[in-house]
Amino acid sequence: MSDRVLGAACVGTAAAMAWAARGYEAPYSYEPLGPSAFPLLLAAGLALGGLWLVFKPAAGAEAFRGVPWKATGLCMGAVLAYALLFETLGFALATTLMAVPVGLAFGGHWLRSLAGGAALGLGFHFLFDKLLDVTMPAGVLSFVLGGY
Amino acid sequence: MDTLRHLIDGFGVAFSPINLLIAAIGSFIGTVVGLLPGLGPINGVAILMPLAFAMKLPPEASLILLAAVYIGCEYGGRISSILLNVPGDAGAIMTALDGYPMARKGLAGVALSISAWSSFVGSLVATLGIVLFAPLLAQWALSFGPAEYFVLMCFAFTCIAGLMGQAPVKAALAALIGLSMSCVGLDANSGVYRFTGGDVHLSDGIQFVVVVIGVFSISEVLLMLQEHHSNAGLVTQTGRMMFNLREMAHTWWSTLRASVVGFGVGVLPGAGATVASAMTYAMEKRLIDKDNTFGTGDIRGVAVPEAANNSAATGSFVPMLTLGVPGSGTTAVMMGALALYNITPGPALFTQQPDLVWGLIASMFLANIILLVLNIPMVGIFTRILNVPNWVLVPGILAVSSVGVYAVHATTFDLLLMVALGVMAYLLRKQGVPMAPLILGFVLGPLMEQNLRRALSISNGDPHILVGSPITVGLWVCAVSVLVVPMAVRWRASRRAAAVA
Repeated sequence: MSDRVLGAACVGTAAAMAWAARGYEAPYSYEPLGPSAFPLLLAAGLALGGLWLVFKPAAGAEAFRGVPWKATGLCMGAVLAYALLFETLGFALATTLMAVPVGLAFGGHWLRSLAGGAALGLGFHFLFDKLLDVTMPAGVLSFVLGGY
Repeated sequence: MDTLRHLIDGFGVAFSPINLLIAAIGSFIGTVVGLLPGLGPINGVAILMPLAFAMKLPPEASLILLAAVYIGCEYGGRISSILLNVPGDAGAIMTALDGYPMARKGLAGVALSISAWSSFVGSLVATLGIVLFAPLLAQWALSFGPAEYFVLMCFAFTCIAGLMGQAPVKAALAALIGLSMSCVGLDANSGVYRFTGGDVHLSDGIQFVVVVIGVFSISEVLLMLQEHHSNAGLVTQTGRMMFNLREMAHTWWSTLRASVVGFGVGVLPGAGATVASAMTYAMEKRLIDKDNTFGTGDIRGVAVPEAANNSAATGSFVPMLTLGVPGSGTTAVMMGALALYNITPGPALFTQQPDLVWGLIASMFLANIILLVLNIPMVGIFTRILNVPNWVLVPGILAVSSVGVYAVHATTFDLLLMVALGVMAYLLRKQGVPMAPLILGFVLGPLMEQNLRRALSISNGDPHILVGSPITVGLWVCAVSVLVVPMAVRWRASRRAAAVA
């Protein structure tokens, strides 16, 4: 079943690609193949492969059975929030907070995850920012950690 | 003779204290990443690549680091295969078949040491193979024109689809998705913005680092949730720590055969360590397993896949360095790393940047020696790493990945795109779509399009140029046979099975 969904998604993507690519035209052209030919070729391939899956799905594809949805959702949310707050909160604090839901999803205790996260956040901040010269956002903790 | 002189120069590069240190660090990190179940060479290299770039390492140093990590992973994967029956990376799947039974019999130490030794032999044979064959291949590839290059890349993609086993259509789809993603951004030939949706962040295209980390790190974490295993099966009683001479002699020929075959498999674009170890294991089983002891703790069953996966990993550098077409997902990531330094791998690399190429090859020799030293006496330290719980390991992986992505352009947009790509990759991987072809497509996309357009410009739009030389015709024949031969073999097997029944 899931193969059919995947195939249909590929066909849909291919159609969107082709629709966007049909308008690409160089203002002046000195080559036979313009900017739209290659994307159109790829869209055709994608549509063909997608149709194949729609008509010949692998037997018994039950890819999403047994997925721990709650933990996966928790993890996805944490990663998304981490990306959004990375600059504002700063690396060290954002990492500390991210470690709690992710740690819980992987069977940790929240207090230990918080401690682990704080150690990771501060440790990596010093390792990368101070030792290895990779600039990290200090965010709201900039008054302690320095930087911006 | 030229080769020898270059190799000596290369050792000069590799023996510089900083590069030596980097090779040692890379070997250590690689072994750790390899032994952690779920993380393989491609994740390790993907996570470290942006960091190496952000630390402003010179190109040869970061290439040495990544190569050492790659080879180290192939060494490390075997440790958890043997002790946990959970392969640390895909190349070590076959090692678990005999390694875990050996460990259960109290021979874990022997299995660990003999597999380290055969990993060493495999890598060494393959590194020698690079020294012998890569310059020749590079010489030959100098005569390639745009049409030849385009067809070569088509060949690489058919290899991937043909060798990916059960799901050639899904592998092809993955490659097409990767190729499509490479089209995003400014088209250099015409100045047209493609698929940017008017967003400035995308006008430069999707950053390679973002794709690699999203696809191999974020999605991996989500996948790990399901596998989230306990270390209940960990065998801690290792017994005798060293193999003896009799055991070495017993495995010697199998190790050597597997190394040579593994190298050949590794050189083929698309077929990596996983295919090599599975293939040589099957081959040796047919050749030497008279008493059906393979799979029950036969020492040769440990040596063979390890020799092969290391040899194939090293061999996959050959097409990357000489043709600019990566032999594996991991070398595709490394090729992207070179692109960050504005270095285009290909035949000209050998003449234009001999220090880089030969320094890399020489440091692969050194990394192997370092790894052998690390892996025989210090294996106890690595086994203790298996006790690091996931609740602290995974946040660590996420933090390092995000640092890497953020370090390149310092925008939140890249982090968000990374998460989006990670979720997409997770959904695709759950459906059995392999990610290595996607990354290969993403890396090769711009080259493939450029070469196609250049070839057709030369011929004034006549597509016959794509079959206009013996090389292109030869490559098309190879491409078709890679697709057709496995199908024919399967068809024959099913007919024979039908006849028996």
